[in-house]
Amino acid sequence: MHHMLHIKNGIVIDPKNGIKAEKMDIFVKEGKIVEESEIDKSQCKVIDASNKLVVAGGVDMHAHIAGSKINTGRTMRPEEMRMVRQIANKFRATVGRVLLTSPAIGYEYAKMGYTTSFEAAQPPIGALHTHEELDAIPMVDKAALPVFGNWHFVLKYVAEKDIEKLKTFIAWAIERTKGFGVKVVNPGGVEAWMYGKNCRNLDDEVPNFGITPREIITSLIKATEELNLCHSVHLHCNNLGNPGNFETTIETMKLANGFSNDKRQVLHVTHVQFNAYAGSSWRDVGSGAAEIAKYVNSVDNITIDMGAAIFGHATAMTGDAPFQFTLHKLLNARWSNKDSEIEGGAGIVPLMYLPKNPVHALQWAIGLELGLLIDSDKVVLTTDFPNGGPFTEYPYVMAMLMSKKMREKELEKVSPFVQKAANLPSIETEKSLEEVIHMTRDLPARILGLENKGHLGVGADADIAIYNLNPNEIDASNDYELINKAFRNALYTIKGGTIIVKDGQLVEEVWGTTYWVDATKNVDMKAIEDDLNEYFDLYYSIEKENYGVEEAWIKNPTRLVMG
Amino acid sequence: MLIIKPKVDFVVSVEAEITPDIADDLEKAKNFEVYYGKDKVKLEDLFEITKEGDDKKLVLDGDFSKVKWIGCRMEDGEIVVKGNVGANCGAYMKGGKIIIEGNADDWLGAEMSGGEIIVKGNAKNCIGCAYYGDMQGMKGGKITIEGNAINYIGEKMAGGEIEIKGNAGDFIGTEMTNGLIVIHGDCGFVGGDMKGGEIRIGGKFELMPTFKKSEEGFVGDINVGGKGVVKTL
Amino acid sequence: MAQKVICTFCGSVCDDVEFDVEEFKPKKFCKLGRSKFSKKERIKAPMIDGKEVSYEEAIQKAAEILVNAKKPLLYGWASTANEAIRLGVILTEKVRGVYDQCASVCHAPGTLAVIEEGIPGASLGAIKNRADLVIFWGSNPMEAHPRHPLRYSMSAKGLLIKGRNDRKVVVVDVRKTKTAKKADVFVQIKPGYDYPVISALRALIKGEDIDVDEVGGVSKEQLKELAEMMKNAKYGVIFYGLGVTQSRGRDRNIENAVKLIQLLNRYTRFVIWPMRGHYNVVGSGEVPAWEVGYQYAIDFSRGYPRFSPAEFSANEVLQREDCDAALVIAADPVAHFPKESVKHLKKIPVIQIDPFPNMTTLVANVVIPSAVYGLEAEGTAYRMDGIPLRVKKVIDTEYWSDEKILEELLKKVVELRGE
Repeated sequence: MHHMLHIKNGIVIDPKNGIKAEKMDIFVKEGKIVEESEIDKSQCKVIDASNKLVVAGGVDMHAHIAGSKINTGRTMRPEEMRMVRQIANKFRATVGRVLLTSPAIGYEYAKMGYTTSFEAAQPPIGALHTHEELDAIPMVDKAALPVFGNWHFVLKYVAEKDIEKLKTFIAWAIERTKGFGVKVVNPGGVEAWMYGKNCRNLDDEVPNFGITPREIITSLIKATEELNLCHSVHLHCNNLGNPGNFETTIETMKLANGFSNDKRQVLHVTHVQFNAYAGSSWRDVGSGAAEIAKYVNSVDNITIDMGAAIFGHATAMTGDAPFQFTLHKLLNARWSNKDSEIEGGAGIVPLMYLPKNPVHALQWAIGLELGLLIDSDKVVLTTDFPNGGPFTEYPYVMAMLMSKKMREKELEKVSPFVQKAANLPSIETEKSLEEVIHMTRDLPARILGLENKGHLGVGADADIAIYNLNPNEIDASNDYELINKAFRNALYTIKGGTIIVKDGQLVEEVWGTTYWVDATKNVDMKAIEDDLNEYFDLYYSIEKENYGVEEAWIKNPTRLVMG
Repeated sequence: MLIIKPKVDFVVSVEAEITPDIADDLEKAKNFEVYYGKDKVKLEDLFEITKEGDDKKLVLDGDFSKVKWIGCRMEDGEIVVKGNVGANCGAYMKGGKIIIEGNADDWLGAEMSGGEIIVKGNAKNCIGCAYYGDMQGMKGGKITIEGNAINYIGEKMAGGEIEIKGNAGDFIGTEMTNGLIVIHGDCGFVGGDMKGGEIRIGGKFELMPTFKKSEEGFVGDINVGGKGVVKTL
Repeated sequence: MAQKVICTFCGSVCDDVEFDVEEFKPKKFCKLGRSKFSKKERIKAPMIDGKEVSYEEAIQKAAEILVNAKKPLLYGWASTANEAIRLGVILTEKVRGVYDQCASVCHAPGTLAVIEEGIPGASLGAIKNRADLVIFWGSNPMEAHPRHPLRYSMSAKGLLIKGRNDRKVVVVDVRKTKTAKKADVFVQIKPGYDYPVISALRALIKGEDIDVDEVGGVSKEQLKELAEMMKNAKYGVIFYGLGVTQSRGRDRNIENAVKLIQLLNRYTRFVIWPMRGHYNVVGSGEVPAWEVGYQYAIDFSRGYPRFSPAEFSANEVLQREDCDAALVIAADPVAHFPKESVKHLKKIPVIQIDPFPNMTTLVANVVIPSAVYGLEAEGTAYRMDGIPLRVKKVIDTEYWSDEKILEELLKKVVELRGE
């Protein structure tokens, strides 16, 4: 039900609108934030938010929440599903330790005050599956990023240096998959995996195409910028998970030189923790976070997300199939792989981050270092769920970023290797509450190009979280436990104007929208028609006419027209 | 000691995670919650319960073949089942003793770490095994089957002992890392991906081709660089 | 005039076939698909105890049966669309019953192997593009998936492989099947000896010697040749079938095969994939996996899902007399289940939802006819490799779709439970 709401006397932090812990009222009507004058106070439900923190609903810009990868993960790991979160009642039964069922994903985000989540890697031919799972996630708004970096059409147009066709193809593909933007995973490397190889460096040649990751990334940035998509290229770098890879990461970031966009970054580098290792082997591995931070802070066209590692269970699942095989060998663990038509691949490996394991402790430290050392306007808080661990631990990460004392306490529990291999022990920075709110709300919304998300200005979606914290009284540096606790269970979560969580408990189930981007207006599909027909005829195993997802098949779609 | 008798023929199975912990207090026992299909009921709704003396012991008198999870996670005391028992009996058991005078069903003593289970009759599949998704099966204690068993015996077993006096089926000690399995009769496939521990067999059996003959018996599985030993009794 | 449709018979889900609505005539189909897309006897109307009733009356009765049961079994699902399956899973959760699907009698051992070791696989398009070695192990596509060899595997043309001559085809089976006759190499193994044969191959590929001259009826020489062939392939695939999952060894056979594939990827590229049977048996596992965490054999009696194949598979439930009502959708357990299972089905109230009459119709108390997906109803199905396809509706019908029937049934159940 869309009520009119009057959220009274809350302490509002709304970085986008320059509101820094001010006592003020928020008004909601028909799912939007409105001026006080729009509200009929006699019809209005009043929420007393006195001395409580009022912020926009959280935005998770990178998590693996839907599609064949997480679902194969669930199938592989019944032990994950033995943790019962909720017995069926008015709401669905939910299970899952780190991997969660679709209803559990929506419910857990809602309890935490998050109201938007993006599936970060959609295998294009599996788009319909991804959308079915997104449609099974209640409570939040969502979208999916199709994966481009090893798709033969992309490789072909990069090799032919035909940016027009590349743009046309991107527009076609995003429309067909009902996707949101251009995700790139280990460009060229997954194609090399089809021959048992990888592309670890930017200049490694992609077999049979005579091109390199450098050219793929540059071309995709150029095409995405010319199409002026709301979200930039969203890149999982080459050489992920290997000691010394921080240099590859910085080299990759430099490919954005010369591109700029008034509204946003031109390159978002994701789960950088996994790409921020110094050293030459697992013996002398160290943190490369400081070098990466230095570079990101020095430019204004790049953003990143942390990909923080949380101690405990996790499941590695990425489109980076060769990396997943390396991980399988390293851990001697279960391994799933999927080579997908001429589009790329994916892999899944269960893992666990142990505090006493030197490498795991280092990974944990690096994720936090990135959050601390990079400007709060350039780094988003993520765990790359479920790769770095559960998204339900975001409050832990928020508290850690805000309290040196908490970090010192946690450092006592982890491998001493961190003391020499990482920067974390010596970092004094404590992010402010406002910065952490920024990193979880309006920054990810800006990076994704979602103008109505992540803030509380008039016209914004009425996605609101109220927490049991008074920003004017809390001393996060010392009261980190209060921070950690308060962000786990929102006092209220309001989604599109409906109260869905109260006192950390679900009160109403709602179904959010699925955003998709239509960039077909400014391209001429004829340019690639022959190529599409040829490739579908020769290299695909389904007909072109049966490829993709129609809007009518999605529960509650929102089309965002570009250009 | 409690004597527990079924009051009715069960329409569907009952899940009763009872252990000798309830033996000391009749009221507690009567009110113990069990699952009967979708209904959560009290133990006394389905069973007649009488108390005799203060031994930490349960005597299950009657047909318990449709009653699952008996003795699950038990730590001490004794359970005697006069008839047959349902699946998952003695699962995750840590100590104490379960005697089954009839037959046992699947997952007997799964992932148990201590205590003893004796089956006078036959048992089915997955004795002392690891549940799906878990890395270790039985870690300690002893399971004795006087009769026969079927497939999957001591898979991923990491300690303890399983003795089967009759015959068994396939997959004895698959992925076993430690512990002892003794089968007096015949059995099928033995030792696939065995890493450690010992299997002794009295009758005929089919060893994986990936074992090497040595003075001790057969050692393998070479596919996993295993040092498991398989030999005749 | 013929229009393009998607076949809803086997796991190949061919999407290049055609159907002439006016003539009611299938084109380009294989023998198996043609049979489904031809005029067939249908269940005429909803029935309660043999008496024709309205859909509403049948659904009312079905809801009463499910709500009154202590533990209903809801089984089938492999030949319906995801939209219906999703409602079926939610329905099972609501009535606190047992959800199980046809895989539990065919390919579920493969799911157990995925739990133990994962599944290194590929889409059928990747295989047709790259596989220079195709091994059918206990599978016989020439009879069970007739267009698979042409479209995806044996003689399919793709990126690197231009046709049959560019690839080697091996069949490992207990008898010389129709597929074996078309293979380059046929390895005949003794029934029930897949597991030790795979163990021996693993050892030989690793460079270990084995102390025996023959394993499972296959000579060491022939095993060595096969091992070499696998190791020397650029991109190999094992397609396994019921010959491996439903014979001695079952899930352990597949687990061992996955370990073989893991090993082979240390030398070259190799994948493995099951030859799934019904057109959407993959969906009947994937949908519950995202909704409740597991693929099959799921019990909700405690109000949350639990997985235990030895307890909650349809046959285990029936043979242990561990359900007191059943809903059977898009399956025929009376024809295909063992006698002891059928015996219990005959004792309890049974609801059937199916377009076509079958043996189960004869024991069902409530029969609800439904539309045929791919012809009369639209919905999502997953091909054997998990590729989603939207099957089409080309004919109007009075029959309700499974989706609509389950939607109404779910509403009725919620109403009866007073929620």
